[in-house]
Amino acid sequence: MKKMVRYGVFLLIVAFLAYNSVYFKKLDEVKAGTASFNAAKYAKEFWAKKLTPSLSKSAETGQLLSLLRTDKDKAFKDHANALGIGNIKYFLIKGTGKVTDVEENQVLFRLESGAEKPEMRIATEYVFGNAVRDASGTIDINEFSNSMDFNNVSAEINEIIRENVIPPFKSKVKKGDVIEFTGAIELNQEHLKLDNIEIIPISLKIRDL
Amino acid sequence: MNIALDRSKLLRFQSLIALFLLCLGLSILSDKFLSVSNLWNVMRQVSVNICISTGMTLIVLTAGIDLSVGSVLALCGAIMAGLLKNGIELPDSNLYIGFTILGAILAGVITGSAMGAFSGWTITKFNVPPFVATLAMLTVARGLTMLWTQGFPISGLGDTFLYFGTGWLLGIPVPVWISAIIVAIAVFVTNKTRLGRYIYAIGGNESASRLSGIQVNKVKIIVYTIAGALAAVGGIMVTSRLDSAQPNAGISYELDSIAAVVIGGTSLSGGRGSILGTVQGAIIIGVLNNGLVLLNVSPFWQQVVKGLVILIAVIIDKSGSKNE
Repeated sequence: MKKMVRYGVFLLIVAFLAYNSVYFKKLDEVKAGTASFNAAKYAKEFWAKKLTPSLSKSAETGQLLSLLRTDKDKAFKDHANALGIGNIKYFLIKGTGKVTDVEENQVLFRLESGAEKPEMRIATEYVFGNAVRDASGTIDINEFSNSMDFNNVSAEINEIIRENVIPPFKSKVKKGDVIEFTGAIELNQEHLKLDNIEIIPISLKIRDL
Repeated sequence: MNIALDRSKLLRFQSLIALFLLCLGLSILSDKFLSVSNLWNVMRQVSVNICISTGMTLIVLTAGIDLSVGSVLALCGAIMAGLLKNGIELPDSNLYIGFTILGAILAGVITGSAMGAFSGWTITKFNVPPFVATLAMLTVARGLTMLWTQGFPISGLGDTFLYFGTGWLLGIPVPVWISAIIVAIAVFVTNKTRLGRYIYAIGGNESASRLSGIQVNKVKIIVYTIAGALAAVGGIMVTSRLDSAQPNAGISYELDSIAAVVIGGTSLSGGRGSILGTVQGAIIIGVLNNGLVLLNVSPFWQQVVKGLVILIAVIIDKSGSKNE
């Protein structure tokens, strides 16, 4: 009798837990409610509706570099964006410069604006990473159900750059041209290195002389 | 006589003394160490290790070891996250089985328990050394995690689930509550129940325990099952805190766990040690990790320092055993 009561209580607990643990639905209804994520479409909308408007807030490159040298923490606090923890932070920058060399994978130029005129480079072949996505500071990781979708957005943004931004620029640019650019850069806050910075371009224009 | 008494007292409180000296040193070297937010942060991080080290202590008390806890933690976390996020789809029956948080947690804990029970079964049934059996389980569990997640993190688990890893209750982080409850139960089991006495007896002398009628194999399987379940609870905390189940979560957690057990004074040859000692060991490891980060020590040196601390703890343990 005692054993029966014990088993009965045990079964009741199992039934209670099971009832509160799972629920059943028709698979078609669930599928209908969840459309699969389209990274290319998201990236296009992001480019038009979020990234382009945020370019007006880009830091002027010469001023940013001066601030990084004099007050690194303020520069990072005021201008950097990052989605994760760590020392790697991203900046949206703009400026003008004079092309010093055109290489197969990059265009080298000397910055014209600001007090300093360091040499920088624009990536024109290998456009990878999350610099543009993260520098904008307008994407919330919580909008994405998994990190694969989130990373695919970066891949699609880079594809837009490779297809739309770089080709018209790369076909015309030559040594001595004055260029106007906006782009994203990646800097390590702890181990800051300000020479030979690589820019992932967002817009590129060759100034008519 | 008095010198021997003092020495035994010193050995009894060795981990507390070490913790005190460590905290003292770090509070002098870093002004951030003693801040309330940092101390709660340390306790939140340590909670996971306390949880899995409690299970590890029970195993080590029986003179065993479990190298699979980190991988089991990852697998259970991935299963919880996967079920919570995606449920189970049965296209042939046009059925979708969704899981509530309770359901996902239960599934994770059952998985952890089953993995632990399987390790215990192989150790007792086939006389496989615990080191080898759990090493195999380490690889199996990691492989299953990769298969389940396809190598990608599962994230976006909802605010309610995050509460287990990031929430506060009565001014104390929820993971600290969870680990405190687990420790309290484990202390009760080891000190006040028959199972606890059997665990110590088996670690002290397995043959004598067998001859005195203790079902050694059954007790060992129970102990490995508990350790698996506690690894799953650790998995809840880690997954919840990160809002994501990472396929490579829990790597080297088994080493931190063994370190906590050894530093806490539990003998690797079994039969001697305590849960509270392990808690002190886990806090020492956590404080050491935190202190090395605050002092900006390179991660490579951090590993060297942790390794040396474990080595010193084992040497002290061995010299203590000899004296006894």
